[in-house]
Amino acid sequence: MTLLEVENLSVTYSPRDSAAVRAVDKVDFGIEEGEFVGLLGESGCGKSTLGHAILRLLEKPAAITGGSITFDGRDITHLDEDELRPLRWADLSTVFQSSMNSLNPVITVREQFADTFAAHPEAAGDRPDVDARAGELLEMVSLGRDVLRRYPHELSGGMKQRVALALALALRPRFVLLDEPTTGLDVVVQRDILDRLRELQRKLGFAVLFISHDLGTVMEMADRVMVMYAGEIVEDQPAGDMIESQLHPYSAGLLGSYADPRDEVVQVAFVPGRPPDLSREHAGCLFEPRCPVSVDACRTEHPELLPAGRGQARCLLVEQSPDDGALLRDVAPTDRLGGVFSADSEPRARGAADTEPVMVVDGVGKTYRTKRGVRTTTTRAVDDVSFALRPGRVSALVGQSGSGKTTIARLITGVERPSSGTIRFKDTRVDTLRRRAMRRYRRHVQLVFQDPFSALNPTRTIAYALGRPLRNHLGMTGEQARQRAAELLETVGLSPAEQYLDKLPGQLSGGQRQRVVIARALAPQPEVIVADEPISMLDVSIRAEIVELLDRLVRERGIAMLYITHDLLSARLLADEVMVLNQGVMVEHGPTLEVIGQARDAYTRRLLAAIPRPGRSRESWPDEPPNEAERVPAGS
Amino acid sequence: MTTPSSTSMTAPAPTGAGDTEGVRVAAIAAGRSNRLPGWFVILWRNGKCRFGLWMLLAFVLVAVFAPVIAPYGPRVDDFGLSEGPTGAHWLGTTARGEDVFSQIVYGARTSLLVGTVAGVLSTIVATAVGLTAGYLQGTVDEVLSFFINLGLVVPVLPLMITLAAYSPVKGLGLIIAVITVTGWAFGARIKRAQIITLRTRDYVTAAKFAGDGTARIIAYEIAPNMMSLIVVGFMGSALGAIGAEAGLAFLGLGDPATTSWGTMLNQASMGGAMTTGQWAWLVAPGIVLALLITAFTLINFGVDALSNPHLRED
Amino acid sequence: MTYFVRRAGFFLATLWAAVTLNFLIPRLQPGDPAQAILSRLTGKSQAVDPAQLEAVRKMLGAPDGNLLAQYGDYLGALAHGQFGISYTYYPYTVTDVIGDAIPWTLVLVGVTQILSFFIGTVLGAWAAYRRNTRADSWITLGSTFVGTLPFFWLALLLIFVFAITLRWFPDGGGYGGGSQPGWNWLFFSDAFQHSVLPGLSLLITGPIGWILGMRNNMVQTLGEDYARLARAKGLSRRRIALTYGARIAILPNVTGFAIALGSILGGTVLVETIFNYPGMGRLLLEAVSNKDFPLMQTLFLFTTVGVLIANFLADVAYGFLDPRVRRTEAA
Repeated sequence: MTLLEVENLSVTYSPRDSAAVRAVDKVDFGIEEGEFVGLLGESGCGKSTLGHAILRLLEKPAAITGGSITFDGRDITHLDEDELRPLRWADLSTVFQSSMNSLNPVITVREQFADTFAAHPEAAGDRPDVDARAGELLEMVSLGRDVLRRYPHELSGGMKQRVALALALALRPRFVLLDEPTTGLDVVVQRDILDRLRELQRKLGFAVLFISHDLGTVMEMADRVMVMYAGEIVEDQPAGDMIESQLHPYSAGLLGSYADPRDEVVQVAFVPGRPPDLSREHAGCLFEPRCPVSVDACRTEHPELLPAGRGQARCLLVEQSPDDGALLRDVAPTDRLGGVFSADSEPRARGAADTEPVMVVDGVGKTYRTKRGVRTTTTRAVDDVSFALRPGRVSALVGQSGSGKTTIARLITGVERPSSGTIRFKDTRVDTLRRRAMRRYRRHVQLVFQDPFSALNPTRTIAYALGRPLRNHLGMTGEQARQRAAELLETVGLSPAEQYLDKLPGQLSGGQRQRVVIARALAPQPEVIVADEPISMLDVSIRAEIVELLDRLVRERGIAMLYITHDLLSARLLADEVMVLNQGVMVEHGPTLEVIGQARDAYTRRLLAAIPRPGRSRESWPDEPPNEAERVPAGS
Repeated sequence: MTTPSSTSMTAPAPTGAGDTEGVRVAAIAAGRSNRLPGWFVILWRNGKCRFGLWMLLAFVLVAVFAPVIAPYGPRVDDFGLSEGPTGAHWLGTTARGEDVFSQIVYGARTSLLVGTVAGVLSTIVATAVGLTAGYLQGTVDEVLSFFINLGLVVPVLPLMITLAAYSPVKGLGLIIAVITVTGWAFGARIKRAQIITLRTRDYVTAAKFAGDGTARIIAYEIAPNMMSLIVVGFMGSALGAIGAEAGLAFLGLGDPATTSWGTMLNQASMGGAMTTGQWAWLVAPGIVLALLITAFTLINFGVDALSNPHLRED
Repeated sequence: MTYFVRRAGFFLATLWAAVTLNFLIPRLQPGDPAQAILSRLTGKSQAVDPAQLEAVRKMLGAPDGNLLAQYGDYLGALAHGQFGISYTYYPYTVTDVIGDAIPWTLVLVGVTQILSFFIGTVLGAWAAYRRNTRADSWITLGSTFVGTLPFFWLALLLIFVFAITLRWFPDGGGYGGGSQPGWNWLFFSDAFQHSVLPGLSLLITGPIGWILGMRNNMVQTLGEDYARLARAKGLSRRRIALTYGARIAILPNVTGFAIALGSILGGTVLVETIFNYPGMGRLLLEAVSNKDFPLMQTLFLFTTVGVLIANFLADVAYGFLDPRVRRTEAA
């Protein structure tokens, strides 16, 4: 029997002072006992809301407005809190998104296990031995028993996440909902936790609904994958089948955003546009405005989720063939992608490797001293790092969090001074600049930030944001600056510019904001741009768009770019050379294909292993990197 | 009505980060359609707050037109002593034979004047200290923070009384000065905390890279995002100042020549309003004071919504 | 441990600042402070009372020395507990006079404030627990309304109704004519009778801030991820409300309590004056109206130091309640 049956489920947000939003719309699916199901979707698609609805945790102003949820044959859609309580955790448990905040900060880990046991005597027994059982659970997720005595703030992000996982399994539930359980953690830690999770799931046999925006992990973990778009399930297929061929154009676009960076030719796709406004009624297919293959009928007819192949799809163009060969009708595979960005093994038509460098970093080190009480600890954040940036070329700086890559960005932009070594911009020593000279220097070195939501002042218009560098660095008048700001917006693909100039950042999507941030960096005509993880906060389907934009700017304007990332795929797409940083030391440095193709460093290889490669079946994926890449101790 | 939340499905704001920024954006959007400042529009939309604003307006009108509204001068003492309410004297007379109603009307001037001036002054001090401490950090911050914390824990009224006792002159100016000196710390603390979160925003770094100077960054990048906090701070200080003035005047530390509700209560309790049965003399100043505070409290409901989106969701 | 060391450091620094402030206030005015004070004491034509002169001299140290020397003398006198002689209660020393007043204020303020904090926290937590129900609206709106009433005016009304009209309680003073301060039943019951109205006027408005603060904090903590997870864990509403709501929401209130002590003491000045209650607040006002500067200065110093000590204790309590500050070093 199906363990969890969701039928026709709708969830609506009805805020007091704005229009109601249909966040989840008539969703239908079931999960079998012991099945591992992935739910894939981008920000705002309603996947977390759906998760909360299943757990019956929705709070005002969100509410279930239709359909039903049946667990183990029992309709739980309208049970009240008292009736739900025995089911909770003993049958349905969860690990939340950002478990950073899902542990009670003022009680110990042990107490959080103890109250779980105490609330469910029927599942945990009347007098459970908390220390023994909780200790066992912690060991199951590779944590020591001493963690029991600790408070959440004493644990690292990875450790908290493991505690949350152990807690979720405490009562041997039959169903566990995992909502972005590893988002925000370092790639290596992430990998470790997910491996453990999959292992435990096989051993203990609980069913999982794994919610994530991260296609790679979903494809790798799940037996079956559902893709959600704008509140609806648009595709539901066994993971292996979906990797082979996607039914819905949106899934095709999502999977197209990945490729193996070691390939000779790397091609990634993106889906232009943004999701629809769900507070309005839509007649046709919700994906139609972004769809590269839509036909006239798509505009008027709303497709149903119908069987196709070994799964289901919500697309008018999917042929309802009785055999296994469900395909998008009459569409060649390459045409299904909205936009494509590719990089081959040939050197790009950009600056040459022997051009005179604009920026030379020579033997730079940075030591931080932290005073805590009487003791002073020194941390060596960057150690003897040397490289050069050349016009028209991109150097990627790759490393995990804490490897010192952001420190290097701060050093070459003059936000901080190196403890040793020199940084030269043309003939200027950057590391000794004083106030006024520093301001002049910054005209030539600009930053592109990671988080497009924090990089633009929410209270200032786009015209203001772009106008400041123009007026300060280029001495333009208000009218000239506005003119130039419009040109810049056109350059970064926000056209017609007049439509954007007077908008506030809040009125733009994440991708549009990032384009504005890039336009602002271009404004003073800099020679060097430092881009600090510029795509990591963006939705997968639009990342390649930004990569393409950056590539074009470097090529057309001869800019020297330092591209900081932990994502080897984007480094492969964009960079001419790659530098790998580990604990402040540069461990690899060379032409992109060379470094990525014959990675020597254990960390680089782990990064490579973390990149999903759709198009190959899971079994054929290479195993974990060799065992010499020892398990990273939790919390490091 | 198109609010920014209609786009929130596609462009979710980062949760938890910069609550007041979100409010500020809503405020700008709200203020765009007309000439009023955005924060005022948000206040006006809140029913309780609108009522409070009407009440406050009524008090302001009474204060401005006091000579027209009051039947007699506040210090005219040609009437019977300690008389109960009559047609000629709606609220009776004082023990010195003054008209209570007229004093109430003139008293509104004192309360509003002290509230406004002391509120503005301590908001200025609080903002200046808070912004400087939060933005500059380092030693300056440590020194200023110490003074802020000191200002928070020192018992305010005893300090006010001691300061007032040493002053060679008595009068409204002194009361305002004393209230300002003692009442800025709380606002400064909140503003410092706010600016510390705001100054690490990427857009502040971006402004530095765009060549903007420190003063411009504070004025154009940071201050607009703190506007609601400044309004909140002003409301709090004004309310505190009105209460403090009444308390000091009641203790007899005010200028006996100024008519204020606090002075009236002082004279009523000294002048035996309780024993002569002239209850109106005792009750009326308290009620108008309570009404004025009510007006501020109602407005604060709207101000809370400005500064704390959590409460808006109820 | 660092947390407690830092708090102790802050306590000592504020203590020093308060002592110095106390030294500086009389010297803020232009000219020789002793002269200025004396001229104000004597008015226009009166002769200088030798007792007063003596008192002022004592208070200011050597008025002819430079500021630094004066400061040294002042600190020395403080260290020896010499605060001078009260002019109003001549020839009693200031310390004697204040010593008589301290217990009255300590009991009145201590009992009412702890009660206020307790009542306020419980009611606020209850309102948050029953959020958006009638109980919540009653508590929130009721306390908002009561909070708008000027509390010294409430005190006057209490006297008017319960002491003058109904004659249930005495209208002022600390104890009646029939009893003498001492460890006897008659005195205690009499003192209790006298403290009912002042206590009540502090208790009516006292809990308001704690109610609203606690409710808002707890509504917020109950909306956090950990409270949601607690619900998903199937914990009882009670357990969630107490351990995942109130237990965390009370923390800002504890710091708030420490900070509020200063203004609470201000409130007692008004109440003690209205009820003619023999505590430090009334004494302060008496000192001000009699221009008894030594008494006034010392009272200010004592109240400030008292508040600082209470503040330090509240900080220490906070350290024990919040594991996050207690063990920052382990993180």
